[in-house]
Amino acid sequence: MKLSFNINGQPQSVEIEDPNTPLLWVVRDIMNLKGTKFGCGKAACGACTLHVDGEAVRACSYPAKFAEGKKVVTIEGLGTRENPHPVQQAWIEHVVPQCGYCQPGFMMATAALLAENPNPTDEDIDNNIVNVCRCATYTRMRKAIHRAAELGQE
Amino acid sequence: MPSIVFLNCKKKYISTIQRFNKRSASTSKKMNKNKKSSRRKFLVRGGLGTLGVLAIGTYVFRNPIRRKTLSISESLIPPYNGSGTEANLWFEITQENQVVLHSSKVEMGQGTFTGLAQMVADELDVAIEQIKVVGAASATGIVDGLSTGGSLSIASLWVPLREMAATMREMVKGEAAKKMGVSVASLSTKDGVVSGGGKTMTYAEVATDVTDWDVPSTPDLRPVNTYKYVGKPVPRVDLAAKVFGDPIFGMDAEMPDMLHAAVIRPEHVGATFKSADTSKAAGMSGVVKIVETPDWVGVIAKTFSQALSAKRAIKVDWDIPKKWTESEIKDMLQVGKGDRMITQKVGDELDPEEEGVVAMEFSSPIGAHAQIEPNGAVAHVVDGKATIMLSTQVVGITQKQVATALGLKKKNVNIIPTFLGGGFGRRLNTSHAVTAAKLSQAVGKPVKYFFTRKEEFQNDTFRPPTHHIMRGKLNANGLLDSLEHHYASGDVAINSALMPGVVNTILGTDIGAMRGANIMYGKIKNHRSVQWHTTLPFATSWWRSLGLLANTFAIESFIDEMALKAGKNPVDFRLAMLGTAGNQARIRKVIEVAAAKSGYTDEVVDGKAMGFAASIDTGSPCAQVVEVSMVDKEIKVHKVTCAFDCGVAVNPDQVRSQCEGSINMGISGALHEKMTLKDGQLYPTIYGPYQMALMRNTPKEIDIHLIQGADVPLPVGEPPLGPIGAAIGNAVRRLTGKRVVDLPMRIV
Amino acid sequence: MNKLRLLYLLPIILFATILLATDFSKYDHTDNSTTVTKEVAANTDDFDKMMQALTHPRCLNCHPSDNKPKQGIDQHPHYFGVARGKADHGFEATKCNTCHQKENNEFSGVPGAPHWGLAPSSMNWEGLSKNEIASSMMDRKQNGGKSPNEILKHLTEDPLVLWAWDPGVDVAGNPRETPPISKEEYIAAVKSWFAGGAVIPK
Repeated sequence: MKLSFNINGQPQSVEIEDPNTPLLWVVRDIMNLKGTKFGCGKAACGACTLHVDGEAVRACSYPAKFAEGKKVVTIEGLGTRENPHPVQQAWIEHVVPQCGYCQPGFMMATAALLAENPNPTDEDIDNNIVNVCRCATYTRMRKAIHRAAELGQE
Repeated sequence: MPSIVFLNCKKKYISTIQRFNKRSASTSKKMNKNKKSSRRKFLVRGGLGTLGVLAIGTYVFRNPIRRKTLSISESLIPPYNGSGTEANLWFEITQENQVVLHSSKVEMGQGTFTGLAQMVADELDVAIEQIKVVGAASATGIVDGLSTGGSLSIASLWVPLREMAATMREMVKGEAAKKMGVSVASLSTKDGVVSGGGKTMTYAEVATDVTDWDVPSTPDLRPVNTYKYVGKPVPRVDLAAKVFGDPIFGMDAEMPDMLHAAVIRPEHVGATFKSADTSKAAGMSGVVKIVETPDWVGVIAKTFSQALSAKRAIKVDWDIPKKWTESEIKDMLQVGKGDRMITQKVGDELDPEEEGVVAMEFSSPIGAHAQIEPNGAVAHVVDGKATIMLSTQVVGITQKQVATALGLKKKNVNIIPTFLGGGFGRRLNTSHAVTAAKLSQAVGKPVKYFFTRKEEFQNDTFRPPTHHIMRGKLNANGLLDSLEHHYASGDVAINSALMPGVVNTILGTDIGAMRGANIMYGKIKNHRSVQWHTTLPFATSWWRSLGLLANTFAIESFIDEMALKAGKNPVDFRLAMLGTAGNQARIRKVIEVAAAKSGYTDEVVDGKAMGFAASIDTGSPCAQVVEVSMVDKEIKVHKVTCAFDCGVAVNPDQVRSQCEGSINMGISGALHEKMTLKDGQLYPTIYGPYQMALMRNTPKEIDIHLIQGADVPLPVGEPPLGPIGAAIGNAVRRLTGKRVVDLPMRIV
Repeated sequence: MNKLRLLYLLPIILFATILLATDFSKYDHTDNSTTVTKEVAANTDDFDKMMQALTHPRCLNCHPSDNKPKQGIDQHPHYFGVARGKADHGFEATKCNTCHQKENNEFSGVPGAPHWGLAPSSMNWEGLSKNEIASSMMDRKQNGGKSPNEILKHLTEDPLVLWAWDPGVDVAGNPRETPPISKEEYIAAVKSWFAGGAVIPK
């Protein structure tokens, strides 16, 4: 099928053979945006989290056909080195990443949380940020999430 | 013997693993002075191929051999496990005046690239922003011969890397003096620029067109306290790449015209491939080729989804000789079974029947690495040459394995390491590189192949389960007169590609299972540690900190129980059994600091109890105090106070980061993680069922206190994983009166 | 086998067709005095069949009594601490739809159906007896003010309910277990039970 959607602010059309192909592979292998990671393929780890119409979605379990006509944002579209998203800015300030592989998923999940809840409590963070980080950078991430909330309100 | 030296039959030095060194840290200072006269052999290349205007390399392995043979028991510096015949550390200056450090160690999150850049910047006199660190590819013949692991990267390169940077600085100054027509003495260097006599030149300008370099004697290294970067919390050099989602990992690697592959891996332990029905898959959309070998069957397709769909249509007939059960594994792995080896022996053995002897049993389960980036590789094999990009901790071994498996010359196999989406020991085993290479060979095109998550969980090289028996006896003063740790473990180092068989034969001990197994309390008159080693029917290997988490859990839980029995404060109890010199003093210090900073108390306050534990691993002592409460039998860790002595902290922020990661990963291992056998298969096969600590399970506060008890950097990435399990168990004991003896902890 | 099954289904389908034309307003549960003994006996069978499905984990897992959705035939709490949230669809940013879409996903093994989420907390069935479940289901105060007709529609037409018979594959790629009776049998039983006045056996 021909799939038309908006990715990181740009309208795009791609030809996909199987409309059920996970959006993750369309983003990674066709659009060549590698920031959205493959971790488990079962929507369990959250490494593939991106935004569809502003909502956090695990792209490994999201059929590409459902993205038709929608706005998809990946880590590459969240912010840039020149103009980082508050979440990215906070991640830099707290030097959160270690291996870094899961971090785009966490940042996308956090950005979605802050969009709904600009000042989350620790409990809100515990409930909403349920991705897996094997380097276990959770303690810094929590600080960075609170910092991102501050930056977002400035 | 504080150190263990491995020798092969030719008496040639292979490797040294530094163990708990009882001597004073100051001896290393003496050693550094002694070797001042050494002159390193450098390789100098100018403008070769893709290299920059000046590239120099050095053989960092030879000098440590000599050093070690002279002062083997005195050095605190673990040696560099590099090749002894090829230059294995090098960097270059590009025309843009950028320094490219080709790191023989890979970056897997531990922050090594940043630490190395700091060390180079301070001796080469360049700004850290001018340095680009890349993983060295094997095509240059300059990779680590063994591995990135054991928390040794910074510690082992501390001297050779700075010496090389300092030498390069002097070489540049020497040439600058000639070009500028001034004396070397009048020149100064800063931010990659040589200045003097009113003139300035960039390093790149100096190096341009120079073909014959004078290599000076190795200059004196600058005092650590004069460094601009070393010792400071410099932001990670890979921070931006990781925050903005740059394609830096093995999974992100691509080659032109690349195809995607999926391979069917066995589900049952010990299963082997018999045959496959591929008729349906062969005709499926996008399928380019079905590849069948004596060991496996795989499918190559245009896209990953197509490969995955076709893979599902293949039916494999497996030979499953036996369906292993949980109880069979448990039965195999018991103290008293397998190969016995005394790994520590001081004073007399306890008679278990003697009156007053207390004995307790402990256990830990099979653990999975569960790193988020699956294992895989992009391989291109064509015209007798292989190029493979992947996340690996063993560039050299991967190269050798691919060359052997494909019958290629080693020099024709180029292994390009990427950033690793987690290592934790999992990427010391890279057989999937061989699989990818064979797949590529079958189609003559680049192929990307990686494990599914289920395959990750079922084909892991697991942390082996362990069983421990602790025995101890208190004397009239309420202190331990005797303490014994008997521990059974599956393979960690034994049967690993990293450990040549001959080493194991000579040593007879699994030095991986031994991590943290020995008793660190020097004043206990009789103490010993006895290993029982068994090879299990599934692969077990290195998991961050190896035996440390389980061994410390057993020892420090038992120590805590003995303190309670003696009616003593657990901090005082420990201090009373430690000496005052060398590492004994360093252990003492971390215990004192952790106790003081946490305000340790035996009392339960507001439903929260504290737990105390300490350990020393690879020369880095660590003490931790946890604050724990329980809600509905669920253990909640609120705060961890951690005192850690890793000598010189090259990057204190990243040392803290490693402490935090170790603590949280240890919480995950101690409270949540467990693999089991079900119907002959290893389960679970996915996150969730394989429970791990998430945000809500990790403490909001980790208070870290770094102590510099040595004048060199010591291992960082694993030692802080030691105390956490025992500290939690000790807190739970105070909170509930119950002693947890099995991991993961379940309160019934 | 297929032929036998069809023969067996034929009278049920016929019966169901007749029922479809029936106006249920006269069968309001609260005004059920006209029920005759003969029908009650027949409807007990229908009731039990219906309940075989409604008490199956495929249904109960999304009718939790502790705000925590359950997973699998063993009905373990949903991994990752997923919970009801404010609107029965999870937390603010990590919602049911973060992972579950409108249909099952063959690639991931993540199940999906339209409006995937929990039944309202007034419809907590977990731990209840069959009769208690039925009472709560028919009670307008608990069922969101739904008439029997609307409940019948939910039970027999809502794709999320009928998903129980098309639950897709699990993470390992194996088909998920379905309720012990077929979808057709279930629908027929439900319709028959409602047609008979939706009498809850004593």
